[in-house]
Amino acid sequence: MTAAPTLKIEDLHTYFYSRDKEAFIRSVDGVSLEIAKGETLGVVGESGSGKSITALSVLGLISARPGVISGKIGFKSDRIQKNLLQDLDDFVKLTTKGGKIMAVSKDVVGWERKAERVMNKLRGKEITMIFQNPKSSLNPFMSVGKQITEAIQLHTSMKTEPEAKERALTWLDRVKIDSPRLRFDNYPHGLSGGMCQRAMIAMALACEPSLLIADELTTGLDATIQSKIVDLLLELKSQLGITTMLISHDISIISRLSDSVTVMYGGTVFEYGPTKDLLSAGFASKHPYTSALLASVPSKQSIREKGYLQAIEGDVLDTINVPEGCRFYGRCNQVTEKIREKCARHEPDLREIGSGHKVRCWLYFD
Amino acid sequence: MKSSAIRPIALVLSKELTITILLLLGVSFVVFTILFASPGDPFSVLLEGQLSTAEVRAGVREAMGVPRSWTLQYLFWLAGMLTGNFGTSIRTGLPVLPEVLSVGLNTLILTIGSLIITLLIAVPIALYSAVRGTDKISWPLTMFSYIISALPIFWLGYIAIYFFTHKLGLFPLAFGFSSGGQKYRWLYQCLPIFVLGVGNGTISEVIRFLRQEMGRVMAEDYIRTARAKGASVWKHSFKEGLLIPVTEIVASKIPFILGGAVIVEQVFNWPGMGRMAWQAAQDRDYPVIMGIAILAAVFVRMGSLFQSVVYVIVNPRASKE
Amino acid sequence: MKNYSQRPGEISESWGLPIWKKVDRVDLAYVGYGLVIVTLVVVSYILGAFHLLPRDPQDIDLGLMMAPPGTAGHLFGTDFMGRDMLSRLIVGIQAYFLPGLLAIFIALFLGALIGVLAGYWGGKFDTGITYFTNLVDSFPRLVLILLVIAAFKPDIYYIMLVVGLTNVPVVTSLIKGKIQFLKQKNFVEADVALGVPTRTILLKHILWHNCRSLLIIQATLGMAEAILMETSLSYLGFGVQEPTPSWGNMVQSGANYFMQGKFWPSTAPALAILFTILGFHLLGDGLNNILEDKRNA
Repeated sequence: MTAAPTLKIEDLHTYFYSRDKEAFIRSVDGVSLEIAKGETLGVVGESGSGKSITALSVLGLISARPGVISGKIGFKSDRIQKNLLQDLDDFVKLTTKGGKIMAVSKDVVGWERKAERVMNKLRGKEITMIFQNPKSSLNPFMSVGKQITEAIQLHTSMKTEPEAKERALTWLDRVKIDSPRLRFDNYPHGLSGGMCQRAMIAMALACEPSLLIADELTTGLDATIQSKIVDLLLELKSQLGITTMLISHDISIISRLSDSVTVMYGGTVFEYGPTKDLLSAGFASKHPYTSALLASVPSKQSIREKGYLQAIEGDVLDTINVPEGCRFYGRCNQVTEKIREKCARHEPDLREIGSGHKVRCWLYFD
Repeated sequence: MKSSAIRPIALVLSKELTITILLLLGVSFVVFTILFASPGDPFSVLLEGQLSTAEVRAGVREAMGVPRSWTLQYLFWLAGMLTGNFGTSIRTGLPVLPEVLSVGLNTLILTIGSLIITLLIAVPIALYSAVRGTDKISWPLTMFSYIISALPIFWLGYIAIYFFTHKLGLFPLAFGFSSGGQKYRWLYQCLPIFVLGVGNGTISEVIRFLRQEMGRVMAEDYIRTARAKGASVWKHSFKEGLLIPVTEIVASKIPFILGGAVIVEQVFNWPGMGRMAWQAAQDRDYPVIMGIAILAAVFVRMGSLFQSVVYVIVNPRASKE
Repeated sequence: MKNYSQRPGEISESWGLPIWKKVDRVDLAYVGYGLVIVTLVVVSYILGAFHLLPRDPQDIDLGLMMAPPGTAGHLFGTDFMGRDMLSRLIVGIQAYFLPGLLAIFIALFLGALIGVLAGYWGGKFDTGITYFTNLVDSFPRLVLILLVIAAFKPDIYYIMLVVGLTNVPVVTSLIKGKIQFLKQKNFVEADVALGVPTRTILLKHILWHNCRSLLIIQATLGMAEAILMETSLSYLGFGVQEPTPSWGNMVQSGANYFMQGKFWPSTAPALAILFTILGFHLLGDGLNNILEDKRNA
């Protein structure tokens, strides 16, 4: 990597302490990833794999009080370079007893104050995030246009109302919303889901951020609208070249939009590499989980042949009682006798096996 | 507010107004039934007091015959009220409506003032708890609000008076509204407002409700978006998290405050409708107590109407129904 | 960078946690205090009813007026006529205890009845009930009671009847809401499909199993309100008359002495009111937190 990446997450752990179970819920358990400038990284995984929490950790939006975050989140843009988690550890005290964590005492006020001091300068301006369920993610009491101009006035040099409005209208047009002047004054309940999502995109991009995080952008929208939104994003991507972290459980969207892919499971990264390598049918070295995911998407052929849907056996990982060995061990269908012992007892680390292709699996390590 | 928004708002408001009128009719019905069921036959007193001359009275009595029909009595009485005739006080012989309205104004001042005090105490505590969650301070604050809400308000009044007269070195011969010539008189007159505002017993509930609502709003998706875009969370959560809940809880607590006003007016000799009601209950002065009951209900429904108005203006979805 | 690791497989299941770990300690304290108060009230009521008092509450002793608590033979001191404060406080409970129970009974019984009707057979009852709820809520309770006093007489049982009736809408809407919730979760449908007789569904399944915590909580709040009403009314002179003690009239008769700096005759009953109402409130809120909300955790 020649230039420093825009976002570099190193060994991120985000845990939530559950008083009921007297243990940590390990939502993100050692995630490392990088996004180069102008690149779109797709993050793929099932619900509960920790992808959304990773994104929220970057933005400091973890709201549950007993949440602790450790690791390093390096962010670099043209204007600023910083570790977003610097010194936050100091605000957490653990009470342990015999290796078991009994209580977490987190100086919530101190943590939030420190985190906010850093993040306030970045949110909306350098890093923006858009969410799923666009209709509920927009303020129902404010007109859509006003919400966009609010962002523009906060983060760009256009501080006056008319300037901001002009820019907002330009962007509404750019995201292909019909009659932008009319829609500007509409409230979110008067817009369809697809239009709300376009408006959210406009709101996020109008401030020209250095990093855009999109969390399940198309989930909850109708299928036809989904593909239209993806088309829009492709267009914007080629026009603006904006660095994006795209989170989804929908592989087809990831494959259309991203340059690189990270596959997450149970709070860790299982595989990482360029999209064309990972998600194409011919490429051999793939994590068993990735292969299983791909196989579970029905192809034209399997539909024609009326074959069964290929599900992955077993249940999603329990993020409290994390097992000793590889997290996928119980459900993996490619375990060989040679490595079974290792899979059951030791968690593999993430190793590079090809150019820019990393995998966390014992199958590829001798 | 756009002109196009006015029409649906007006529609919703006229619906609310109709409901209010129906409710007030129901109120009059309830009051009537209570008086009608009373063993003392207050209606002959009321009706005869309401009708103007002896001839008319005799004529009506004849026309209505014996036994007098219940519905006719109700209609006469209602018609009388709607034309502003609430009968005359048994004790003073004066027409009820103007009297009740003038003291009603005093009670209105007391009520609104005390609501402001209650909010001044409750809102900061509720907001602080909503934002900070459970904190070192929150438990003593909660305990404090519970104790305040269980205090007998008349005793609180005594404490206030004692503190005022003795610690501030004043010596009011009469606690009256119009006792003259004292430097701190205006402050003393504010005392009932403070006492009612603090001691009306609703503070812990108000705090709990406001905190719950604000907490709920803070967890909404759109607040998360606001945070993500670096906007002021307060600006986005204020409408749904504070403004609407405040109007809601205020409207619902007005009856309670009016009840407290009866006691406070007694303690401080404040010439409001609470004190007049107390006097009327002692004297079995039906017309007066009836007028006050109805006026109190009117106050309550006005509060409710106010809440609806605010809701419709603030919430763009409300006018869509 | 801190290490937040823990050994896997050492997690206890939430069912296994004893109640004092599962539940907020504060709520337990509230319920504990509330139960203490309830016990005191019930015991005092019984003592008062059987005249098992430390001293005669009417016994005037002009030589020992306004004695502080702890004076010989008077655990809580005396009032402005030398009468034993403790005995008077105990007797004061007679004024509100049974009437309060009446109010609670009316509110719960009628409220459950109508609530079940509205919730189970629903539909047309709905608008009527909303209307009546709003109607009842339009009256300040004290004013309504004064109206009843003017029309009838200042009888505490009439008054508690009114208090009970005005609480019916609250109970109704709570029960109705609960039933609708249960319907939504298909419990009711399942019961009907299994052929469970309607009476059993209503009485056992809905009311006893699902609504009992709700009803208990309403009962505590109802008693708190009854105490408030009775003391306010007797303060205003409409309840029990002197020399029979009621907490409200005790505060009132001590007023003049209060202004002279002799606080005790008014303060003792006021504190009794405070701690008792507080007890019922805390009991209700504590139970509410424990039984209603946490179950969903």
